Amino acid sequence: MYRFGSYLLVTSLCLTMLGCSSDDLNVTKGSDANSNTTTTATSLTDEDLYKPILLPFDAPPLAELDAKVTWVDQPVWNPYEILKDKLDETEPLTEVKTALSLRNDYPISKVNNEKIKSALGRGPISNKQVDYEATLTRRVGGDAKTTNPIMVSSTTDFDVSSLINMELFGFDWNMTPFANSEYVKSWQTSESLLYEKITLRNDIYWEDGTQVTAHDVVFSFQTILNPEIPIPATRTGTDLIRWIEAYDDFTIIIFHPEASPVNIWNINFPVIAKHIYEKTIPDDKSLKSSDAHRELEKNPLESGPYRLIDRSFDQELVFERREEYYMVNGKQVRDKPYFKKIRLRIMKDPNTAIIALKSGEIEEMEITAEHWNTQANDDDFYKLNTKATATEWVSFHFCWNCKSKFFQDLKVRQAMGFAFDHEELLDKMFKGLYAPSNGPFHPKAWMAPKNPPPFLKQDLDKAEDLLDEAGWGDSNFDGVRDKMINGKRVDFEFNVLCSQSPTSKRVSTLLKESLDQIGIICHVKTLEFTVLQQYNLDGNFDATFGGWGTGTDPYLTENIFGTGKKRNYGKYSSAKVDQLYKQGLAEFDKEKRAAIYGDIHQTLYADQPYTWLFYRNSFYGFNKRLRGYYFSPRGPYNYNPGFYSVWAAASE
Amino acid sequence: MLSYLIRRILIGLLTLLFITFFVYGLIRNMPGTPLTLEESTNLARELTEEDANRLAKHYGLDKPWYEGYSVWLSRVVQFDLGRSIPKPYTVTELISERLPATLLLSGSSLFLTYLLSIPLGLFSTATKDSYFERGLGLFLYMLYSLPAFVAALYLQILFHQKLGWLPLANMVTDISEFKNLTLLEKTWDVTLHSILPVFCFTYGSLAYYTRFVKSNMIEVEQQDYIRTAKAKGVHPFKILVVHAFRNTLVPLVTLVGLTLPALLSGAVILEQIFAWPGMGSLFFESIDQRDYDTTMGLVLMFSVMTLLGQLLADVLYAVVDPRITYD
Repeated sequence: MYRFGSYLLVTSLCLTMLGCSSDDLNVTKGSDANSNTTTTATSLTDEDLYKPILLPFDAPPLAELDAKVTWVDQPVWNPYEILKDKLDETEPLTEVKTALSLRNDYPISKVNNEKIKSALGRGPISNKQVDYEATLTRRVGGDAKTTNPIMVSSTTDFDVSSLINMELFGFDWNMTPFANSEYVKSWQTSESLLYEKITLRNDIYWEDGTQVTAHDVVFSFQTILNPEIPIPATRTGTDLIRWIEAYDDFTIIIFHPEASPVNIWNINFPVIAKHIYEKTIPDDKSLKSSDAHRELEKNPLESGPYRLIDRSFDQELVFERREEYYMVNGKQVRDKPYFKKIRLRIMKDPNTAIIALKSGEIEEMEITAEHWNTQANDDDFYKLNTKATATEWVSFHFCWNCKSKFFQDLKVRQAMGFAFDHEELLDKMFKGLYAPSNGPFHPKAWMAPKNPPPFLKQDLDKAEDLLDEAGWGDSNFDGVRDKMINGKRVDFEFNVLCSQSPTSKRVSTLLKESLDQIGIICHVKTLEFTVLQQYNLDGNFDATFGGWGTGTDPYLTENIFGTGKKRNYGKYSSAKVDQLYKQGLAEFDKEKRAAIYGDIHQTLYADQPYTWLFYRNSFYGFNKRLRGYYFSPRGPYNYNPGFYSVWAAASE
Repeated sequence: MLSYLIRRILIGLLTLLFITFFVYGLIRNMPGTPLTLEESTNLARELTEEDANRLAKHYGLDKPWYEGYSVWLSRVVQFDLGRSIPKPYTVTELISERLPATLLLSGSSLFLTYLLSIPLGLFSTATKDSYFERGLGLFLYMLYSLPAFVAALYLQILFHQKLGWLPLANMVTDISEFKNLTLLEKTWDVTLHSILPVFCFTYGSLAYYTRFVKSNMIEVEQQDYIRTAKAKGVHPFKILVVHAFRNTLVPLVTLVGLTLPALLSGAVILEQIFAWPGMGSLFFESIDQRDYDTTMGLVLMFSVMTLLGQLLADVLYAVVDPRITYD
């Protein structure tokens, strides 16, 4: 399972290319980025920094709460079953055998892609179809930094954590949240939305045989909110919970400070073992230094379907199915995880990984768009593998700095959208692999506007008219547009920042070429990813290329477009958008919320703080013995059941 | 000799101080901090301002870089290289985890380079100006100009994908099964995995070293004592190996000394291609993640090795050439 609501900045995923070297920077506007390399902690005293986050709270007795609260049942679902039910609604488009023989020629024809997904993306009809003794070898792009669930930060950390740790809540392919019936017996919310009542199952055990209880949940919550423990972003969201009380070994009540339609997204924090950590944390609040914590890092105490059995740095992580996860006292109490062993092989180079897939050394991987029609399309590839693709709600854009002298004028930002050659990008550069984007929400998302704005098309005349109206003409007839700013003539010449990935460079170069035609000089500056991100955080740019993955709820985008928000790199500010975000958090009716976020989408389209470009598909290669991969808007894994729906077919 | 060594060591320590001060200043002033990616890549789990400040304080990022350097230095003199910021390990642990893989790759490569380039250099000298010698030179220079990352890809396709003779990447086939193998089987498994990376790490330097040996040999061959030996009818092989080659050892020894740091520095691109857990990728990652202590630990190690290599070369001068003394 994956943590709720995670929007991942996706340019990072493209950064495994070779030969990275940073160009010298020539940023035309903004403060010295170096001045921000020392953070502002000096301005705060220790007292400020380490004052308790969690204030004392007198939880009322459960009987009192039960008497005054009307509980409403919330979904407690088995992730496997809900996906099976969903897939059973439609007949497969073809036989498995036929699907395995097909070549996926997407985007020339989309038929085979749909047939492959439809026939192979299904669960088993009976257990006999599954090879429960199978080992699955997956490729990961980097080593895990930690196995401690409350310290996770990288993609591989999340992969590892989702294998070895239980997670009480999940969300399906529609991003509908639910409690996972593998761990939760019941989940109720008060009518007021201020309380959540959760009853844990009494058959969950840590690897050492100790029972998982409500006290572990409460202890984990309190640990995450302990300011003395250097926890990364895991604390965010959890800190919006007022209190959690364990009323017995299996019943917990979560107290929210106020009713909100998005409270649900804050309650899925990781759970650690109280009986272990309550002894070790007092000696080492860093969770990294003491012998006990180092030992736990190497041999984590699992509560999920798999245990970590072997690890070699930068090489491999090996997991084994925990029989006691699904068999308790000789009785099967949960679905048996499909694989006996899972190997996560660390292969940073995508070229090496695709050869490994072809030779069967690994059995699944996310393949790059560059490989889709080349290395992942020859006879060697199809000998052992098949492949599938689906639109992922990962949109890419140019972000304009609204405080920059070039882009503070709306007409200029609109002109950029009309100047860019969208057709060249989608049809020739990406060869039809990607779909166009026109705003923060995907057209098929529930929060997308009912009457979506059109996708932009290149219209150089319109772009030039808008620039003329904005005062950017060519006063000295040198072929470069200029404008008098504070008594000085300023040429329209700026830098667009991008990462070192080939896609980023190609798209940014296309912007440069498009703008060349209307008298604007644009320099493409490729930067090391961390430098790029720091410049973005500092607003130290005129234009930057990037992308965002999708979160589970649209309120998360306030972080990108709300006035003064940290990820609002372009310093966009709109009172209307700010107000709409507030309304979105105060509205409980989903349709009305959808209308509010649809309005945000329309307003952003009109204001063009970004020029939205395209949605990147997810491309995956799978060994032919694998089945059960179902693609969500977050790819085949980042939802529930996600990875756990994948199984290996038993040989006939 | 002793006073020379002491003087050199003291100068070396001063140089180390300067290098580490300079590098620490550079990396702390690069745009980006260890928290940059945490702050910018996960929108839903955005670090709050308070948490960013707490983490900054915890990792000592709230202090100016020169204060940070003094803290780092005070730890180093107590033989503590510090802790990685993103990973729950000490820098010493991270380095020692990767040391065997790096030494295996670069040590084997260096050994092979000398093993092949010295005879090739001698052979080129003996067959000077022949078509064979020119053909060999051309071949070696073609290898020299072929980027290792391109060759690596083609070799992987040929020897792994097409022929199935060699493993593709990583150091061992299966880390779980590896534990149960006999010593001989373990050695065989690692050897098989090493062949392609060692080859790619080696072939480019063959041309350079062969040329180096040959040019030094040609210079020595002009000397009077070689002409005398020839006039006395000494066997050409003996002249080449015993008289001439021995006198080219001085520059070769210098080269050995200077390659010492390369033994530990690894190779970023080849390590990525072959998923080889070496020092190069650790260094690259540490810079990417602004993992200051790890970067500094590696810089310190490379600097010490460079200085030691130079000192070793100077000492070896005296060993191979009796005319040189440091008294």
